[in-house]
Amino acid sequence: MSAVATAGLEYSQISECSGREDGLALATDQSTDLEGALFACAKGDRSGLRRIFDHEAGRLVAVAQRIVRRRDLAEEVVQEAFIRIWTHAHQYAPERGSARGWIYAIVRNRALNMLRDGSREDLVAEDRLETLQDSAQLEQIMGAWHRLDRNSRLKECLGRLDETRRRGILMAYVGGYTHGEIAGRLSLPLGTAKSWIRRGLLTLRECMA
Amino acid sequence: MKLTPENFPNIADEYVLGLLNEADVIAVENEIERNAALANAVAEARERFLPLDTTVDPAAVSPVLWEAIEARLPEQAVANSRPAAPVSPVAPVAGNDNKRSGWRATAISAIAASLILAGGLVWSVTRTVEPLVVAVLVNEAGEVQAVVEDFGNDTASIKLLTDFAVPADKTMQVWTLPSREMGPMSLGLLEDRHSARLSGSALPRPQDAQLYEITLEQAGGSPTGRPTGPILAKGFAKLAR
Repeated sequence: MSAVATAGLEYSQISECSGREDGLALATDQSTDLEGALFACAKGDRSGLRRIFDHEAGRLVAVAQRIVRRRDLAEEVVQEAFIRIWTHAHQYAPERGSARGWIYAIVRNRALNMLRDGSREDLVAEDRLETLQDSAQLEQIMGAWHRLDRNSRLKECLGRLDETRRRGILMAYVGGYTHGEIAGRLSLPLGTAKSWIRRGLLTLRECMA
Repeated sequence: MKLTPENFPNIADEYVLGLLNEADVIAVENEIERNAALANAVAEARERFLPLDTTVDPAAVSPVLWEAIEARLPEQAVANSRPAAPVSPVAPVAGNDNKRSGWRATAISAIAASLILAGGLVWSVTRTVEPLVVAVLVNEAGEVQAVVEDFGNDTASIKLLTDFAVPADKTMQVWTLPSREMGPMSLGLLEDRHSARLSGSALPRPQDAQLYEITLEQAGGSPTGRPTGPILAKGFAKLAR
């Protein structure tokens, strides 16, 4: 919800200070236009997909890479995700959340599937199991929290959780870790890790409600 | 996992975080289709965590990535999109020229076309066209998979003699190597794993011992215009005599 509000604000600011068409186009891109682009895709208009790519591909590759670790695999994920966005755009329903959330969810699902898919284990596992890589990886994961906007409700509410719970939640969402991997990294029994994360998520929901 | 309404918020969170096992993911995705409460819980969870993704430093994206995506896009089942990767590389010509002389020319050419068609019909009934070359394509194990008959008039017929396993996102593409200098040239795509008659590839007259092969390419055909996928079958042509 806050993303929409921010975009709305940007829109009003830009349209105030500029009557130029490109300024306006830039502003609408920020908010409603991903939705318009999805509708264009559903009608078979490739320029819709291109707009989504131009606008989001850089972030989507970075998001996928945090999960699958390797850049080449991340690009493969994004490639497959865009094919899916194209073929499933007609299923997007605005009443079920933002276009941006829908697009990112497709990329995230693709990345998680690749990670969990047995056939790619050899490609991904070596990086994931190396403890040497882990510290850099964990730093990047915590970084995602630090990077959140200072006024973001999510940032504040994650900050209120105790550190282990916050870490568990971020490791899952940002890094694609499983319950088992999180338990291992946090040196907790599996059952304990699961219930800590569950309680952390509950606290987070209550805080953000 | 119990898919009951009081569990929806937690299940939605764990689904969005990727913490559910495979069976639970499938259960959730099935239930979302018909359960608005669960669908809303998932949408809310998505929006809640989305800022962690949208604030990431964007990666530098090479234009090659877009080209790779565009080359793989299947056709949308709606009219106003561009035609699918055509079997032939011949550019389409607009047929609706509304100038008056255009109509007259159309009428004349229509008459001419029907005369030619009538002549052609007589000719084709009275005479069977013979291929210039025939190539028997075999797989790695040497088993016969397909026969290509190249008529040399920009038309080739491919008869499949076995069932090929082609994944949904792949297609079979037929190639030939007219000469080393030209490199492999596409004869076209075999849709639906069926035998087909491919035409429109203006290639030199086929030669004795010319290579023909079928490869597995991504849907829509090889993005590079050269074979990129595994070879399903290949063989060398023999002159028909």
